[in-house]
Amino acid sequence: MLKGKKTLKVALAAIAATTLASGLLTGCSSGASAGTITYLTNQDAWTHADPQRNYTGRDIAWFGSYLNRTLTAYDRAPGAAGSAVVPDMATDTGRASNDNKTWEFTLRDGVTFEDGSAVTCEDIKYGVSRTFATDVITDGPTYAIGMLDIPTDPATGASTYKGPYSTDATNDVASFDKAITCSADHKTITFNLKRSVGDFNYTVTYLSFGPVPKAKDTGDQYDLSPVSTGPYKIKSYKAKDQMVLVRNDKWKADSDPLRAKRAFPDKIVVKFGVAAEVLDQTLLTDKNKTAVSLDALQPTNLTAVFDADGNPVKKYADRAINVYDPYVTYAAVNVKKLNCLPLRKAIYYAKDFKGLITLSGGQALAGDPADGAIKPLMGLDYAKTGLAEGDKDWKPEGNVEKAKALMDEAKTACPELYARATDPARGITYDTRDTEVAKKAAAIWIAALARVGITIKFNFIESGKYYAVVLDATKQGDLSAAGWAPDWANASTVIPELFTQEGGFPMSQNWDDPAYPAFKERVVANLSQADRKKQGAEWAALNQYAMDQQWIIPGVFSKTQEIWGSKIGGAFFWEPQGSLSFGDLYTK
Amino acid sequence: MNGISAYIARRLGITLLILLAVSFAVYVIFSLLPYDPAALTCGKNCNDPGIIEANRIRLGYDKPFWEQYWLFLSGLFVGRSFGTGAAAIFCPAPSFGYSFQQHACVTNLLGDALPVTIYLAVGALILWLIVGVGLGIIAARFRGKIWDTLSTAFVLVGTSLPTFLTGLMLIIFLVIKLDGSPFPSDGYTAPEEDFGQFLLSMILPWVTLAFAFAAIYTRFVRSQILEISTEDYIRTAKAKGLSDGRILGKHTLRAALAPIVTMAGLDFAGLLGGAILTEAVFNLPGMGRLSLKAVVDIDLPVIVATTILAAAIVVVMNMILDIAYAFIDPRVRV
Amino acid sequence: MSLLSVRDLRVEFKTPDGVVKAVAGVSFDLNPGETVAIVGESGSGKSVSNLAYMGLLPASKTTISGEVLLETDSGVVNLIGMDNDNLRKIRGKDIAMIFQDPMSALHPYYTIGDQLIEAHQVHNNVDKSVSRDRAVELLALVGVANPAERMASYPHQFSGGMRQRVMIAMALMNNPKVLIADEPTTALDVTVQAQILKLLSDLQARFGMAVILITHDLGVVAGAADRVNVMYGGRLVESTGVNEIYENPMMPYTVGLLDSIPRMDQGHGKRLRAIPGQPPSLIKLGEGCAFAARCERKKELPEGTCDTSPELKEVKPGHLVRCHLYAAKGASK
Repeated sequence: MLKGKKTLKVALAAIAATTLASGLLTGCSSGASAGTITYLTNQDAWTHADPQRNYTGRDIAWFGSYLNRTLTAYDRAPGAAGSAVVPDMATDTGRASNDNKTWEFTLRDGVTFEDGSAVTCEDIKYGVSRTFATDVITDGPTYAIGMLDIPTDPATGASTYKGPYSTDATNDVASFDKAITCSADHKTITFNLKRSVGDFNYTVTYLSFGPVPKAKDTGDQYDLSPVSTGPYKIKSYKAKDQMVLVRNDKWKADSDPLRAKRAFPDKIVVKFGVAAEVLDQTLLTDKNKTAVSLDALQPTNLTAVFDADGNPVKKYADRAINVYDPYVTYAAVNVKKLNCLPLRKAIYYAKDFKGLITLSGGQALAGDPADGAIKPLMGLDYAKTGLAEGDKDWKPEGNVEKAKALMDEAKTACPELYARATDPARGITYDTRDTEVAKKAAAIWIAALARVGITIKFNFIESGKYYAVVLDATKQGDLSAAGWAPDWANASTVIPELFTQEGGFPMSQNWDDPAYPAFKERVVANLSQADRKKQGAEWAALNQYAMDQQWIIPGVFSKTQEIWGSKIGGAFFWEPQGSLSFGDLYTK
Repeated sequence: MNGISAYIARRLGITLLILLAVSFAVYVIFSLLPYDPAALTCGKNCNDPGIIEANRIRLGYDKPFWEQYWLFLSGLFVGRSFGTGAAAIFCPAPSFGYSFQQHACVTNLLGDALPVTIYLAVGALILWLIVGVGLGIIAARFRGKIWDTLSTAFVLVGTSLPTFLTGLMLIIFLVIKLDGSPFPSDGYTAPEEDFGQFLLSMILPWVTLAFAFAAIYTRFVRSQILEISTEDYIRTAKAKGLSDGRILGKHTLRAALAPIVTMAGLDFAGLLGGAILTEAVFNLPGMGRLSLKAVVDIDLPVIVATTILAAAIVVVMNMILDIAYAFIDPRVRV
Repeated sequence: MSLLSVRDLRVEFKTPDGVVKAVAGVSFDLNPGETVAIVGESGSGKSVSNLAYMGLLPASKTTISGEVLLETDSGVVNLIGMDNDNLRKIRGKDIAMIFQDPMSALHPYYTIGDQLIEAHQVHNNVDKSVSRDRAVELLALVGVANPAERMASYPHQFSGGMRQRVMIAMALMNNPKVLIADEPTTALDVTVQAQILKLLSDLQARFGMAVILITHDLGVVAGAADRVNVMYGGRLVESTGVNEIYENPMMPYTVGLLDSIPRMDQGHGKRLRAIPGQPPSLIKLGEGCAFAARCERKKELPEGTCDTSPELKEVKPGHLVRCHLYAAKGASK
């Protein structure tokens, strides 16, 4: 399957029925404070345990539940309620001023590190400063660099502030000190941003906006021994072996309403390097009844757990789920090259959705045909676009007549492009990763488009270099396989990223399209929209707009499957992080 | 024996030169790979050329190739610092570099992984030599009889079952599905930590790894013995009136020693580079896992180090074998 | 009763192509102190016949019949059908062997001392030092200089001729009654050949043993053997005293063999004659004379004579020939 570049798992709102039968009453009350939960993963270690480098929904959910507190956090609740931002270390969800360019948070009393020392504004400021040390603090989200009001070097575009480790005399510490300020009582932190960010209080749910005690910072090695602020602390952590968490006796429940009464197990163990098949078998046979898989089930084992409709079979009814992950896959259309709406629409109608979904495991488990760039999980921001299953002309295996009609239209509207697309010697190009599955998918595409006379030629790109090539505007082909997951529960991390020239993932190259200026104007306006409901409705409308222009050919709203032991209670799918709500698990 | 010491000294000298050449070749190859090491440090979500350029300078990737290679070589002897300012990390000699992905000096990573692989390889080697050579002898001795047939069946199964499958079946049936299984399900225990547990955690990996090799060795030893049995000097031994047992035990096996030692030495050396599948199935943190992860993550310093180490092991093993020949085969000594 | 009496020895091999009748009824006697040469081309059965009763052919593929009677200290025994363990006690003790290529016949990884001592130890329950002394003594006897020191040498440290001397020493370790020398000089230089043959003959006199000298080269037989058995196609085709064979060879094959020996009196001008054709396939050997296909004199005989195999007949006292040319009468020239 073609996955997005961003590995973040976030999503919002309804749809996926994730309220799980057992244990989940109000999310907490039935849990007992005892026992050991054992997490199993095939990974050799956490990708990152350093809060400034953690950028994966699952890992953020895990560390956020047990170890790392942030100013604000997603509420720990199933369904749409989980995507609401609630105060964590801060007393409220932040106070914006100066046209959303200044954000202020105040720390609660009693928030401490695992050594008992109080968490101060300066600790958070230090933590955020680490994001700027890009040579050491790699892989993490760089929102702080993009948003904080610190100048950039006009020549390189790099921030003039290089983080806390730099010994360079030109390091612009002064600008950083102005961008984040602390009150005299070390309790209130103020972020000064270079542009309006209406949902900055979502941004700070990232662990990268969390505190790090400067005295304990070991640069790159902090990834091995981060200091806890949560209800647990790391007793031991060894790659390819295990991590053991025990209770943090300095943690005060009354300073932490989000986690109070929900710190169930006495001990948490993560076993690394478990062979994927061994891991699946351990859970399928319920060998360890208090084990939880951190990994998705392997495709070969899915049919043992789920029926044809994608529901867990009886044996696993209480301990497996099949839900939307945060991804939307699609074929990005290079609008600069395919500047012909009827042709783009013809491709959409000719595409064999059914064949491609069957290839990746069938609709019940692989996912549903997507109707746009925003997934239904995004609640407020999602509305049906009238594509795919909402389109009466759309057929899962492709609507050849409709596509042919559109091709006839294209023949007169854009004869040159029509001639190229239908010329077997030239055709249109499709960039994709060089994998076995992609090659099979290519065959399906070629056959589907051939039905309407379009020749499509595949450009297989080495996986590791894929995005380096297709994000280079000069190297991108006519169509490019892509996938995207929002960074947080707001389509502000989808629509502008994908469909504006300034976005982080601008593979549609649509800024010369006559439809673009009006679109861009509405995007900019909506980014500053303070009313979240209105903002959501507008994102849905803009998603519709992009689909009307067929700036992408939608793929699937993909799914993930998770499993845990029979003596684990409290499990529910935490939509904003796209993972189980680890902090709510307890042993029965 | 004076001749032997001179011989060993000469071989050692050649080996050192080969290792230097190997390290250079590996360094050249990896500097030619289409990966920008600076871009790799920038993180998965980074297309910002400013950050990439800054990292290139801070990590020394802007320096010319020769300087980088020199820094690498000198690091082997005097150690080396990685990173800048307050975040700098010093890896003492012999430094193979620092893995920013695993947050450790590469030498330490090798130091952690190599013993595990050595334990795995040594145990498996002993096991497969006992089983493989033993069955090979039995099969040759009772050629055409039931024992030979049974050993042929063993060879067939052993050589056709993939190691991954053997290991997985052992785990699933002897660990996961067997209640009260004595074997641990959670991977490796270091011998210095708990020797009994170490043995329990290694038995199945040893069996898994040894199984495939034992089959190959059974076939090899059998054919060696049968081939040597047609040698003139074996006929001489028979003509002298020696018993079959003595001929096999003294004359035939002595002659088979050189090819068996050669094969075992090279297989052992290959294994020290990492038994990827066995290590993966049994969750052993050895060289195979280290190398595989490094390749998947494009962790260049680790790739360079594991490649050089694997090459060094093979080169050194060849040296050891050459020296061993001097003891095994009197003809080599002159 | 002779020392060794071979009676109607037959050896067959099972091969994928069919049954090879390698030896098809060979009989001869060996008297104490006598040297019998067995001469023939490769494939004639000359080596196989002797390896067979020594138990040195792979048992699983070989069928042996006939009788090989050996006079031992404990009476006459039949080597055919004897179990391997008893036969083993005769090998190297009553009957010793030396082989063609002394390089490959000695184990390359053991010192010659080790190999000599082993040969003695296996048949004598004595202290190793006794065997060692015996080995040094024999090495000296076969002409190895500094024998005590050379005991620690490996075969590759000797020249070809010296290795064959070592082999001879090894064969003599147990004072054998019979020495089977299978092409003992074939792999050696001509000058060394003479030395080895001389040594063998000296030692034979000294030890009073009988020798079976197997060779393809009638040239080496002249001074060495008392009696010559010529084999062809797995059978004896001519058997007589050594002088008679040179003076009055009868069987055309023997004549051919003699013609292929370089001789001092022939001068440089005359080319050596080779026997035309190839040795017969021992699988397809039919009823007829095995040599017929290569026989230059068969036209002297009536048509169809060669379709039957001739018998071995004593055509004059002490001279046996298997040939139609001599079937009815004595010598015909």
